[in-house]
Amino acid sequence: MKYRPERLVIEKGVAGSPLVKRILETLPGISVDWVDELKEDADGENGSFLEIVKFRGRFIKPCPGTRFYNCCGYQILNLGIHCSLGCTYCILQAYFTSRNVRLFANLDDAIQQLTEHLDNSRRQTHRIGTGEFTDSLLLDPLIHLSEHLVPLFAAQPNAILELKTKTAQVDLLENLDHRGHTIVAWSLNPPQVIAGEESGAAPLEARLEAAQRCQRWGYRVAFHFDPLLAYPGWQQGYQEVVDRLFSAVAPGGIAWISLGTLRFMPSLKTIIQQRYPNTSILDEEFIPGLDGKLRYFRDLRVEMYAHLNELLLGIHKDLCVYLCMESDDVWREALGFSPAERGGLSAMLDRRALS
Amino acid sequence: MTEKESYSIQLDEVDWNDASCLITYGPLPDKLTLSIQTVGLIQKPLLQRNRDGLLRIVCGSRRLAVCQQLGLEPLSCEILPTSISPETCLRMAIYDNIAQRDLNPVEKSLVLTKMAQHEDQAQLIQEFMPLLNLEPSTVIFGRYKKLLLMEESILDAIAGGTLHERIGFVLSPLEQGDRFAFFNFFQELPFSVSVQEELVETVVEIGRRDNLTPREVLDSAEVNDLRRAHKRSARQRVQEIRKQLLATRAPRLTAREERFDREVGKLKLPAGVRVVPPPYFEGPRWSLECTFERGDELATRLRQLAELADQPEFKQIMESE
Ligand code: SF4
Repeated sequence: MKYRPERLVIEKGVAGSPLVKRILETLPGISVDWVDELKEDADGENGSFLEIVKFRGRFIKPCPGTRFYNCCGYQILNLGIHCSLGCTYCILQAYFTSRNVRLFANLDDAIQQLTEHLDNSRRQTHRIGTGEFTDSLLLDPLIHLSEHLVPLFAAQPNAILELKTKTAQVDLLENLDHRGHTIVAWSLNPPQVIAGEESGAAPLEARLEAAQRCQRWGYRVAFHFDPLLAYPGWQQGYQEVVDRLFSAVAPGGIAWISLGTLRFMPSLKTIIQQRYPNTSILDEEFIPGLDGKLRYFRDLRVEMYAHLNELLLGIHKDLCVYLCMESDDVWREALGFSPAERGGLSAMLDRRALS
Repeated sequence: MTEKESYSIQLDEVDWNDASCLITYGPLPDKLTLSIQTVGLIQKPLLQRNRDGLLRIVCGSRRLAVCQQLGLEPLSCEILPTSISPETCLRMAIYDNIAQRDLNPVEKSLVLTKMAQHEDQAQLIQEFMPLLNLEPSTVIFGRYKKLLLMEESILDAIAGGTLHERIGFVLSPLEQGDRFAFFNFFQELPFSVSVQEELVETVVEIGRRDNLTPREVLDSAEVNDLRRAHKRSARQRVQEIRKQLLATRAPRLTAREERFDREVGKLKLPAGVRVVPPPYFEGPRWSLECTFERGDELATRLRQLAELADQPEFKQIMESE
């Protein structure tokens, strides 16, 4: 499962960056194409190339929530795009034409922007994640990004880094000085869903074992049941995941657990049908949501959220369970309260982040 | 300018099997036959002698076909020298046709498919798709190229305008039996193009979910009963079949709509008042429609509605199961 590109495509302008040097040392003998500038649509449609470029935009941005649903107020630190794990439902397939992983080599610029951003808003609590446009730990064994980010956040009184992953590549985290400012998070699904829809990602057991190790090293962990998938027997499937989760992980050390049913831009539907003709994730009925994304019909969403919430709180009543991109009425019906009753979703999570 | 010479030819000199420059598709227009019958060939067809000594048609295939039908020969034609490349001949055929008329979708597909043998795809898309009044896009190019893989009767319907090319696009990836099941269905009942598209998607998805072929879905007892309910008008049958198939595809939404109708029915709303749920019951925005003719009528309705809003039955309508 370890990510090993077939070829590197590197912009000449970043040839001297420490990140490039490290990658070339770690992958001796790999073929390299040196290019002046990489366009959005590079070759290697099968995703086997690693593209290393200079990123010229803003590295840190708010999560693109919509006004129709409750957004968690997350911020994204964008250090690369795309992912090689090949989940059938991955939204990135609709965002980017190329399937190659692309890494931004000017890490110094990113860190400078990040520190300026944090310095400029000291009063605000920042929950920042790197796993929005790629998997946070996919390239870690290759580029050791965590060695830069974890200590940096450890020194920030008002910020938390969330590393979201479907891998079990946590070895490098063991000896880092995190001071409780890094949360390591896994997306979870039943083993049969992982086998069918997330076949390039780590199996459930490996993810939970990695979470257990992180807890041992003092990290808080988080879990995202996202996307929750409705399939015949989903109730039992998710019950088993919850059982296995709590036999591996201590509930007191869980920062939060999010729930979000499958949703996607309509353009992704055709891509999924073409790339994964045998997947059954499109079998359920979908309706266009207020944000234009296709999602399960609300009654099914409410049923799934209520079921999971009951399972989770049945094990530990103090868990912080939240819904990702849902409206107040769905919150109330599924969880019994709306975020506004607890000061808003963002504030709820901020309190957990720094507790 | 290309050098060409006028010759008088016999029709058995024409290589009718050489379709390399043929981009016309569809029945011969009656007006063309009438014109040739009445005043003879006004514009000379353009041909090129091939290696076997026969004449390949470059421009004027329909004029020549009419002449053949009418037994008109010898014919005065223009003949291109053999030095002219097949690509140039094909370009002549294309430009000659598009200068005179709009091509039908099958002909557009023929242009793109035949030119693809000579030209790189990106250039072809940029040069020829706008000429054919098509948006220059790889996706649309791919759709047109696949049209030609379908059976003749379907292509005839597309060329003749009884089946929209958009439906051709969605039918082309299907198995032959499924394609014909849809084709016959659409020829039988007056579905609009957008409903036809929706039905193909719906039926294919039902089939995928329930492990049935689209043909089996269309052949289900429920659909067949509605299809054969000849006492109802074709329009009614179309609506009912559509409703039936959408309900099969979206049972949860359908159940919710039915429950909503039942519960609203029990409320006994005042005349002229309608409760409208949010689209797909998504989001908090419900609305109320109230029609009235006089101010006192409005006041009465509002009083009645205020009472209604407090009733548990009304609140229940807004909750999910
Ligand atoms: S792990 Fe995340 S980013 Fe990677 S393919 Fe799966 S859904 Fe996409």
